[in-house]
Amino acid sequence: MGVFVFLPLVLPLTAWPVARLAEQHLHPRTATWLLSAAAGVLALCSTLCLALLVVVGTAQLPGNPLPDGWSDPEVRAAVPYDEVAGKAAIAALILVLGSCARAVRRHRGVRVRARRALEGLPAGPVAVLPDGVAYAYALPGRRPRIVVSSGMLGTLTAAERRALFAHERSHLARRHHRFLLAVQLAARANPFLRPLRTAVSYTTERWADEEAAQAVGSRRTVALAIGRAALVSAGTPGVGHAGLAGFGGSAGLAGFATAGPVPRRVAALLAPAPAGRVWPPVFTAVGLAAWGAAAGTAASALSSANSAVTLFLILHAATPL
Amino acid sequence: MLAALRAAPGPASAAWVQEELGCALAYTTVVTILTRLLAKGAVTRERAGRSFVWTPTADQADLAALRMRKVLDGEQDRQAVLASFVTGLLPQDERMLRELLDQAGEAEE
Repeated sequence: MGVFVFLPLVLPLTAWPVARLAEQHLHPRTATWLLSAAAGVLALCSTLCLALLVVVGTAQLPGNPLPDGWSDPEVRAAVPYDEVAGKAAIAALILVLGSCARAVRRHRGVRVRARRALEGLPAGPVAVLPDGVAYAYALPGRRPRIVVSSGMLGTLTAAERRALFAHERSHLARRHHRFLLAVQLAARANPFLRPLRTAVSYTTERWADEEAAQAVGSRRTVALAIGRAALVSAGTPGVGHAGLAGFGGSAGLAGFATAGPVPRRVAALLAPAPAGRVWPPVFTAVGLAAWGAAAGTAASALSSANSAVTLFLILHAATPL
Repeated sequence: MLAALRAAPGPASAAWVQEELGCALAYTTVVTILTRLLAKGAVTRERAGRSFVWTPTADQADLAALRMRKVLDGEQDRQAVLASFVTGLLPQDERMLRELLDQAGEAEE
């Protein structure tokens, strides 16, 4: 398997260009699917290769439960720098699995606690909480709910409120929380996938914005609702400056290259609607980036499959029957 | 009446409420209003000795709001779990946002 076992660990880098370009040049729905799928496959391949390295590394440890034949020179020859790589992989895999388990537990925890917080309120798709602090959340689950504070509703006009609810309903209907969880786990499996997580958390918001704009029939209303809500939330504690790092920029939106996600969303809504095509034309920057990411993902899948099969055959041959 | 009950440190008797409101209402009137509020589900009552003590129930929503705030404040990385309508603003975002909204407002006129 040679160097192929290391490739999937660095191939996530091939998705960086598209993570940077997709948010401005692709329809948010396309961008979300593309980036999430790439992140998922790249993360799985990366973790599989890490696990293969761990097998080779563990076999060298004294007193390990694996068959003795697995530490033979023929097996070790399959992995370059087997001693260092094997031991580093053990630590890395433990970190990855621990981090993913923590993420899943926290994800569940927040949802359970949010659901418990709403106990005792009349059942319904919308829970309005008497709170001066402006916030609105989509709470996924078997009975999905929209949680919105009276502070948030108070700052918006009737049309803007409709835009807010349409936005949150879109989050729930399209199950955006699944995309977000997937890219979050992927980013923990391989830190090179973090830009994809940042990009997807933005494109899901844009996706919901676009659907809200369609539902209320006015892009401007949605833009105003987001802008007003953000300005009100900015002054309140708890919501804080936990914004995602701004990145990206194009000729048309050059001024927003360093802006956070909220001004970019507002600017995108004040601009014409994005084209709904599924795959970008090849000979554009974003087209090349998308194909680059697709090629990187395919290479990652092939490399890890090749490594897995090779190691299986080597270990099979090295196991005394 | 509800405001007076909410101001009470705990379940309050009708006499306490009457005193709190400043004697403008007769004791029986206070009890009548409380009973009507009970029918609407805005208050609950418990027997304490020969009379009742009253508690407002409208706090269900307030309680839920408090609990939700706890969830939101306690979770640093909640953006990753709950999709929020707006995320926080970067320092330079506010000015940019106001300019954008002004432009949108002018386009309207």
